Amino acid sequence: MPLKVGVIANPVSGRDIRRVIAQANSLQVADRANMLLRALAGLAACGVAEAVMMPERGGVAGHVLRHLAQSANRGEARFPRLSFLEMPVTGTVDDSRLAARKLAGEGVAAIIVLGGDGTHRAVAAECGATPIAGISTGTNNAFPEYREPTVTGFATGLAASGAVPKDVAIAANKWLKVCIEGAPSEIALVDVAVVTEQNLGARALWRADTFRELYVTFADPQVIGMSAIAGLVEPVGRDEAGGLMLRLAPAGAAATIVRAPIAPGLVEPIGVEDWRRLPAGRAFTPALAAGSIALDGERELSFGPRRKVSIELVENAFATINVAAVMRYAAAKGLLREGRLACA
Amino acid sequence: MSSNPFPLSRDELLRAYRTMRTIRDFEERLHFEFAKGDIPGFVHLYAGEEACATGIMMHLTDIDRIASTHRGHGHCIAKGVDVHEMMAEIYGKATGSCRGKGGSMHIADLSKGMMGANGILGAGAPLICGAALASKFRGDHGVGVTFFGDGAANQGTVLESMNLAAVWNLPVLFVVENNGYAEATSVEYATAVDSYVDRASGFGMPGVTVDGTDFFAVYEAAGEIIRRAREGGGPALLECSVTRFYGHFEGDAQTYKAKGENEFNRANRDCLKIFRARVCDAELASERDFALIDVEVAALIDAAVSSAKDAPLPHARELLTDVYVSY
Repeated sequence: MPLKVGVIANPVSGRDIRRVIAQANSLQVADRANMLLRALAGLAACGVAEAVMMPERGGVAGHVLRHLAQSANRGEARFPRLSFLEMPVTGTVDDSRLAARKLAGEGVAAIIVLGGDGTHRAVAAECGATPIAGISTGTNNAFPEYREPTVTGFATGLAASGAVPKDVAIAANKWLKVCIEGAPSEIALVDVAVVTEQNLGARALWRADTFRELYVTFADPQVIGMSAIAGLVEPVGRDEAGGLMLRLAPAGAAATIVRAPIAPGLVEPIGVEDWRRLPAGRAFTPALAAGSIALDGERELSFGPRRKVSIELVENAFATINVAAVMRYAAAKGLLREGRLACA
Repeated sequence: MSSNPFPLSRDELLRAYRTMRTIRDFEERLHFEFAKGDIPGFVHLYAGEEACATGIMMHLTDIDRIASTHRGHGHCIAKGVDVHEMMAEIYGKATGSCRGKGGSMHIADLSKGMMGANGILGAGAPLICGAALASKFRGDHGVGVTFFGDGAANQGTVLESMNLAAVWNLPVLFVVENNGYAEATSVEYATAVDSYVDRASGFGMPGVTVDGTDFFAVYEAAGEIIRRAREGGGPALLECSVTRFYGHFEGDAQTYKAKGENEFNRANRDCLKIFRARVCDAELASERDFALIDVEVAALIDAAVSSAKDAPLPHARELLTDVYVSY
């Protein structure tokens, strides 16, 4: 059976209000298509013969097909064969969810995801044990690491083909489980923020005086978004046990102020009351009586006295391709070298 | 009653609903009346897209100008144009907003900042640049909003206007009402780069996409963009993904749509139903509050149709009046 990798590219990630209230980028459809082509080229270079893609109507697939046809006209063999999943296209996040389920069901070796934190969340929730290789095309991109897609494709191909052993190639990740009235409802890959605004509106978070609580799976001072606040308080690694939880307050009402980049180009003073380590397997209930829950920086659920929520950190929740580890291993073992290498 | 989770008061919420319901009833009634053959010309119905016009227009006053499209009834109603005068105009009667000489595609009311529906695709964009330039010179902090569809977004005038607005830093909001079809041609077929936000990027202005069936998403995004423009922050583009419940024009057989598409959209993407459910869920208003508005709006539309039918046609001697404006 030929080696097969799945592809989910969200054509509309990174289009929200943060383009207006901050200076978030606006990655064009043609650029998204080129990024995908670069990842596909990386896959093919490692022996992946087939890629299966989520159908979409945002234009990415159209551009990719046009380039593949042009490449074939010129007799090149730089890309794997590309086919599309048979599924209806709704133009919503449900497409990413369904595609992830279908790709996992087809037994693809990995799923390459082009999107922001929201797209990766949708795929992670549905892909089971199939590892994800993430490429950032969203707004904050706290979860997918910034990296050239050719390299991500390369590493995914090396992992999928078994050239790099699983214990090196695959990383386990944490997520936050959000329950409503005790029943699992949503997940977040990086952060859950509890804010006073009950209105979901344009979804993004930027009014810092509404922030009250923050739960994070990892806290990296180099990322942007809500988890940056935690990262600037107490860094926690992606592969470390547990996460972090913070109580927040309006900047004027807290003893500690953290200046955090909560969106691209938007650095705000955030009031921090206190913080503590967030252990796995224990459900926490927000102290706020009513408000909304933002998952990875976007308001998704409103809650109140009759709709109670809880938040719990889960370890080993889903798998990703550890691109850095794969490439280090490939270099050390000479997987991409031919002939004798002389050290001068 | 619970606390208010929305950025609007109960009265404002009910006003938004009344506007959306008025647009819906106006269009549903026109769908019915047009089939009788009494209405001259073409009509293009806005039903399904109400949250877009209403969510944006809630941020505007009479000083702000809008330039509309061939599908302009919803924009007119949301901008405050009198429903009786609109209906009379569509029937071609002397009591209409343009004395019955414009019809559906030329309804205008400058006193409300409504610069006109427009039968020429993309023609509203340069008009609104002029209006915005005037506001900028006057320093009245007015903004201009131009609406166009996914098809008209490919017109040269729209792209030229975006360039001009960016170069002159005009207070303009470009609104793409993307209902998926340029007349009968799908976006996927007819548009080389399917995201209209990419067009904005090409001119160095920010672009945002929202679910146009979610009033609250449109309201919040439009509010930020309009505030930014008023403060001198420059133009921006808002793409609203919407649904069109009817055909391109009345009489369109809609053979280009998927089987069951309209039914699916009415069941799952009806902006009025979504709005009503959310406000009721938050206990800001009851089903009874909404039902009362429904009754009042139905009476208003009934009265508008009756008076339009009874009104006289324009007199032949009026033929050449209001054709040219002297400056």
